[in-house]
Formats: sequence, structure tokens, C-alpha cells
Amino acid sequence: MPHTKEILTLAVEIADQMLRNGAEIYRIEDTVIMILQSHEIDNFDVYVLSNGIFASANENKEDACSMIRHVPLGSVNLEKIAALNQLARDLCSGECTLEEAWERLQRCKKLPSFPIALQIICCGIGCACFSYLFGGRPFDALMAFFVGSLEKIFLLFCEKRKFSRIMQNIFASMLITVFGIILYFTGLPLHPDKIIIGSLMPLVPGIAFTTSIRDLYNGDYLSGSIHLIDAMLTALCVAAGACLPLLAFEYVSGGVLLWK
Amino acid sequence: MEIILEFIIAMIATMAFSILFNAPRRELPFCGLTGALGWLVYRIMVLNGISAPIASMFATAILTFFTRLLAVWRHMPGTVYLLAGIFPLVPGAGMYYTAYYLFIGEKSLSSQYASDALLVAGAIVFGIIFAFAIPQKFFHNLCKKRAIFNKKDL
Repeated sequence: MPHTKEILTLAVEIADQMLRNGAEIYRIEDTVIMILQSHEIDNFDVYVLSNGIFASANENKEDACSMIRHVPLGSVNLEKIAALNQLARDLCSGECTLEEAWERLQRCKKLPSFPIALQIICCGIGCACFSYLFGGRPFDALMAFFVGSLEKIFLLFCEKRKFSRIMQNIFASMLITVFGIILYFTGLPLHPDKIIIGSLMPLVPGIAFTTSIRDLYNGDYLSGSIHLIDAMLTALCVAAGACLPLLAFEYVSGGVLLWK
Repeated sequence: MEIILEFIIAMIATMAFSILFNAPRRELPFCGLTGALGWLVYRIMVLNGISAPIASMFATAILTFFTRLLAVWRHMPGTVYLLAGIFPLVPGAGMYYTAYYLFIGEKSLSSQYASDALLVAGAIVFGIIFAFAIPQKFFHNLCKKRAIFNKKDL
């Protein structure tokens, strides 16, 4: 019979990784509970927040132990969530021993993301498609492709330099509008607003918003509010960033840019 | 014809964005399908004169339903499909126009776009809630063949 501490450490470590990669609170709490129960620990408590995990087990016994983790809000990695979910399931059903689980957890941590070139191209394609869906012409979509790719390059650069998320969003959306203004002045038959909207899509906080709704729906009000505030702040930053270059242009040239 | 083209484009867009969020490789087509389905429902309803918030609500509800079905069928956390699939419905354009009209001094247009965007956001909330109100058992019965953990697939 393995030690309580060993199991709790594994469970919390899995939960930590899930939270880091953007899983919902409900799923994480459930995972920890299932792992502990399947290893015959009945006396425990788990409390998970958007950026922290608190867990304790067998508090009234000899081998009492408790753990606290601080997890910063990070980016979403769906593949890791799926892999960790599978790991937790196998662990509960007994298909996987504790040692194997540790090994698999290490492998999950190192799962490679898509190559950078592919990410850049995909960001461009996504922006182009959304620009078309929101009423742009094919030519607008083509331009959105280039703007979107440049935006992703900029975002990757920011990530490397460890810019704060707020600054990343403001600068990226400023960059998009600057490109929009430049394209407007090339005199080509373009709809700059459609290009800008398409290119803004990767910055729009759809994920934070959806996670927040799901957390609120499951009764995790505190975590839901944290994600909701995150979503609202991001939206505010993106909107402000998209308008700052227009403001600067008005100041410099004395005229307001009108496109519609 | 236009609708089919939009369906395909929405699918490509969702797949491209799922790659940015590192969706599992084998699930990419399904992520794309989820997003495209949501957009299809939304567009058909809007083209038939239904207001955007109502259309968003129905589109989100159907999309989330489909997501949960996929989750049980494919043995994946539903989040994988939902986070990717919801993207086409998020009111990004409304957000931009709100800020843009506020900036050029068109207060009334700006507040109109703002309230529209908020309504759509609220509609998405209700769409998701409605689809999650269906008990998990229903989805398990639909895909009975596989033995599945009870709550994990939600």
C-alpha cells in the first residue's frame, strides 16, 4: 500500500499541470477526488481556484499531509489537457501504476507544440477566413493573412521577451490597426475594417470567456469571476489598442479616418 | 451555395485556430466541424431574419450539444471541442465597432454596437447553459457501446 503523501503528490501534480494548461476547475477537482478515492483514501479535501490548488488528505491520521500550489494563469494547451485526462482515467481504473503515472506525467509535460512556422501560417489562415466570414472580400482576406501572420510573429516575440499579457494585447492590436491604416493609404480597393476585425480574432478573449461561463455554471464563482475579469480586461485592452493608432493619426494629420 | 462555402471557410478557420491552442492532432477535423456547425446555424438563422442574439443562443446550444456528443464518442474532454468551436460566434466585430465609433464620436452607434455585443455574449452564456443542463446520461445512452467513466467526459 503506497504512502498517502505519494498519492497526494501525484494527484496534485497532475491537477497542477491541468490547471496550467487551462482545464476547468470542475474537471480538476474531480480528477483529484477520483485519484484519491481509487487509491483508498477517503478522508480528504480539495479546493481548486483559477490560480491555486489546496489539498489535504488523512488529516486525522498519522500520515496526514496537505499541499498548496500556486499556478499562474497561462495559455491553453488542449492536447495536454486531453493527455492528462487520459492519464488520470487510467490511473483510476488501475491500468497504470504510480511509477508509470509519474513517467507519463513527465512525458505529458514535454509534449511538443506545433512547429512555429505552422503556427504562424495557421494564425494567418484563421485571420483570413474570419475576415471573409465577417463580410470581407477575398482580397481583404489575402491581406488579413499577411497581417495575421505578422501578428503571430509579434506575439511569439513578446512571449519570448516575457511581456505582460496586457501589454501584448495592446501592442498587438495597435500593430494591426497600423497595418490597416497603411493598407488604407495604398489606395487598393480594400475594406480596412474587415481586415482589422479578422486579424483581431486571435486576440479576442473567447477562451477566457467560455472557461468563465463553465466555471460559473459549475458553481465555482470565484474562479469564474477571475476568468471573467481576465476576459473583460483583454477585451478592453484590445479595443483600446485598436483605436490608439487612429487617435494618433488624427492628432498628427488633423483629420479623422473614416472607413465603412 | 454561399452557405456551403461559408461552412467550409468556418471549418478551416476553426481548425487553424485550434492549432494555435495545440488541439490534439487527430481531433482537429472535429474541432473544425464544431466551429463550422455553430457558424452554419448562426448564419442560416440570421439570413432568415432572426436577430443576432437569438441566433447566437441557438447556435451555441447546438454547438455545445454536438461538443458533448463528440466528447463521449471520442473519449476526450469536451473542452477540446468547445473552446475551439465557440470562436466564430464570439462578438469580436461588435467589440471593434464599439471602440471605433466611440473614437470617431458617434456615441449612439457606439452604444448600439456595445449593447449588441453584450447581448450576444449573454446569449452565448445561455446557449452553453442550456446545452449543459442535459444530463450526461443522455449522451452515454446515445453512445452506449463504450464503457465510460461517469463524469469525466463532461
